[in-house]
Amino acid sequence: MGKVVARHLVSAVAVLLVVTFATFLLLRSTPGNTATSIAVRQAGPGASQEQVDRLHAELRLDSSLPVQYGVWLGRAVQGDLGRSDRSGRTVTDEIAAKAPRTLFLGLGAAVIALVVGFGAGVLSAVDRRGGLAAALRVGALAAVSIPTFWMSFLLIVLLSEQLRWLPTSGDRGFASWIMPWVVLALPAAGAISRVVSVSLTETMSRQHVTAARARGAPGWSVVLRDGLPHAAGATLNVTAMHVGMLLTGSVIVETVFAWPGLGAWFVDSVKFRDNGAVLGGVLVFALAFILITRGIDVVQKITDPRLRKAEVGA
Amino acid sequence: MRSRAGKIDATLVWLSLPLLLVVLAAVLAPWLAPASPTATDLSASLRAPSAEHWLGTDQLGRDQLSRLVWAAHTSMTITAVVLAIAFTVGVLLGALGAYLGGVADRAVTWLIELALSLPSMLLALAVLGIRGNTTGNLILALSLFAWAPYARVARGAVLGYRASDASAALVGLGLHPARIVVRHVVPVAARPALVFASTDIGAVVMATAGLSFLGLGVAPPTPEWGQMLVESRPYLATAWWLFLPPGLAVTLVAFSSNLVSEHLGIPPELRRWWVRTPRRRRPAPVSVDRDDDVLLRARDLTVRFATPAGTTTAVDGVGYDVRPGEIVAVVGESGSGKTTSLLGPLGLLGRAAQVEGSVTLDGTQLVGADRRTSRSVRGRQVGVVFQDPSAALNPLRTIGSMVIEALPRAVPRTHRRARVVELLRDVGLPDPEQVAGRYPHELSGGMRQRALIATALAGEPRLLVADEPTTALDVTVQAEILTLLSDLARRDGLGLLLVSHDLAVVAEIADRVLVMYGGRVVETGPVSLLDDPRHPYTRGLRDAVPMLGRAVGTRFVTIADDEPVTADGCAFAPRCPARDSVCLRGNVPLRDVRPTHLVACVRTEAVVASC
Repeated sequence: MGKVVARHLVSAVAVLLVVTFATFLLLRSTPGNTATSIAVRQAGPGASQEQVDRLHAELRLDSSLPVQYGVWLGRAVQGDLGRSDRSGRTVTDEIAAKAPRTLFLGLGAAVIALVVGFGAGVLSAVDRRGGLAAALRVGALAAVSIPTFWMSFLLIVLLSEQLRWLPTSGDRGFASWIMPWVVLALPAAGAISRVVSVSLTETMSRQHVTAARARGAPGWSVVLRDGLPHAAGATLNVTAMHVGMLLTGSVIVETVFAWPGLGAWFVDSVKFRDNGAVLGGVLVFALAFILITRGIDVVQKITDPRLRKAEVGA
Repeated sequence: MRSRAGKIDATLVWLSLPLLLVVLAAVLAPWLAPASPTATDLSASLRAPSAEHWLGTDQLGRDQLSRLVWAAHTSMTITAVVLAIAFTVGVLLGALGAYLGGVADRAVTWLIELALSLPSMLLALAVLGIRGNTTGNLILALSLFAWAPYARVARGAVLGYRASDASAALVGLGLHPARIVVRHVVPVAARPALVFASTDIGAVVMATAGLSFLGLGVAPPTPEWGQMLVESRPYLATAWWLFLPPGLAVTLVAFSSNLVSEHLGIPPELRRWWVRTPRRRRPAPVSVDRDDDVLLRARDLTVRFATPAGTTTAVDGVGYDVRPGEIVAVVGESGSGKTTSLLGPLGLLGRAAQVEGSVTLDGTQLVGADRRTSRSVRGRQVGVVFQDPSAALNPLRTIGSMVIEALPRAVPRTHRRARVVELLRDVGLPDPEQVAGRYPHELSGGMRQRALIATALAGEPRLLVADEPTTALDVTVQAEILTLLSDLARRDGLGLLLVSHDLAVVAEIADRVLVMYGGRVVETGPVSLLDDPRHPYTRGLRDAVPMLGRAVGTRFVTIADDEPVTADGCAFAPRCPARDSVCLRGNVPLRDVRPTHLVACVRTEAVVASC
């Protein structure tokens, strides 16, 4: 158990090091990023020459790139990600201010995606006649295929422009949350429902499910206690991947709906070539993605009794 | 688009048709587009669709149809290049890693893991932002992560190939390694990667559109669908022709690609888009003479399975009776319909099975019964013991929870625990309190089968159905389990229907025996018939069993191996040593040779004389 966590931890840290170092190199290799300009920008607006000089020395901007990266890393570990060129505030402050809204958006969408995805997946696996199953299958594939930005437009035109039920954008109360949540959740829900359906269909043909029905267990109990736990085990990795992909979707959804979160902030930082913010954003998004996708693996190992304790009976 | 048999998969062609049309439009863009996609005409801005501009014009007066078609050209060109890079890099890396093994393979695996464990779109975004959004950078940013799945697929294929004999043979021939890689390893890796590429088109098109939508993909004025969409934003309420067509185009490509992916991702035999279950005909009531003495009575029981290849008949007109306290054994080889004839009437065979005829339990018709009736029968009146207890017990649940589930509702909550322990003790499990809290993997095979028997008995059934209950067990515990079953059946006066191919055991514990071949009953009667079988198949079965107490040197007689046919005549005829031309004419009905001993053979006399 501890071994699993340790192995994931080591590999996650390695991945983060590689991706931030690559981004760091990429940023420093672009023209215009001279040591002086970096020091001036990092010192913030209205800084004195002394402050700039001190920062120049502190960041060791005259040393080689790996050394500079080492300095960045050393500060990042202590929570100092430098200063945003665009706003002049520290990157850590910016992230701390934006992250809760993205978390809120992502959690809402994750709940919808899981409930709808598992619901539709289970229905399509247990439908005995096949009509509903076929409809859900095509529906799920359609949900995966409609691009998030176009879906947003369709809903805005219908629900905001035509029917005037929901506001077109912003983060002002429940009505303004519905469209971003749904649009973000839809592709994940579709993908999850397919995986659940395929996996549950396979599980329902296993002998222990037949045995449960043979001892008179009611249909819902067979699905919930004998089918789904096995199907869920097989789907957890894929499900986690799609929940992680909500981060990617949040970039588009936040841009379309003017949502004050990390996604829109990251796009703007990238467009502005805001060095510190881009590096900080890459770090935070990669970390969140890895936490979501690998955390599931650990959870799965904890919940399966066969892996939890492997005693051998007589 | 051809399956292995060389037959064109028509469904696949239909599913990929939209994709093919878009590709065609992309290639023919210079000829299809009525106007230049970049020619502005401010005097004709935001025009609705008309004969002149089929899809209207945008805010700069550019022809929307031309932009749409040229956007296909842009999108498909980028996709083609990205896929070519991803495919080449992925297949080469994956194949080399798997072929070379060792450090090389570990490095490749690590790179694949790295690429797959990162949010690719967000990093592509950063790359484009930092390096500038030129087409070249877009292709670079997308390829940076796109190669990984190809490498994984290729690596898997080559690992499989390396383990095969073909690979060993090439090395044995002394071919140069480079030649082996180029001529044999790369093709092995490329095939599954190519299938993946066909389903990856949608993902790349969608990513391109997404990045362009954010202003970091294809730069204006080159038309691209995502970029057309973001430009249509201010006119959402007024100009539907600006935002509908580009979105529809992306959706169409992605949908078609996803349908193909779904289609190719499932095994060919399951590729139908919906299962056409035959309408359940309510079977014509078969008149059954009520006999209070009989617990389970089957007449004309027929089970067919709907398969993609057509309908196959697994059980054909089977009849039997089981009385309370009686042990009836069903014998026959694998595929003779033994299990199917028992599980079919209980509704345990899944949706592809069609059950016809009549099976009554205490006068209640089970064939075609509604869900409520069949559920009230399962567990409550009929307990089932399956062949392999490791498969029949849910590995994620404790033994106790499965036994509790099978208890009759009438057992009050407070007594359930005690009843479970009592049941587990009855089936001979040591330390039943503890076993109740155990998971199946913590028990031995014999203990698992005892636990499964406890679940079958928990509902206090009147009939126990045991489907080869000892086949999966150690030889040493087989006898114990069978003795346990027969003891329990005799103790509680249960009917026991026992499927087995162990004739020695059957001879010992059964009262009556039912011999099945090719889905039909070929001989039935009291168990003593095994001493003097009248059907050549039963004789064959008996003579193939080594038994203690036979004279040393007695030869086992094996039955000739041939496909059983269920056409006209006796199904066993092709393998029968005593067959004659009469055997192939018409159905062979069961007939009495002695009271209660029935045989389906027209040459019984010859059989008895010859063998």
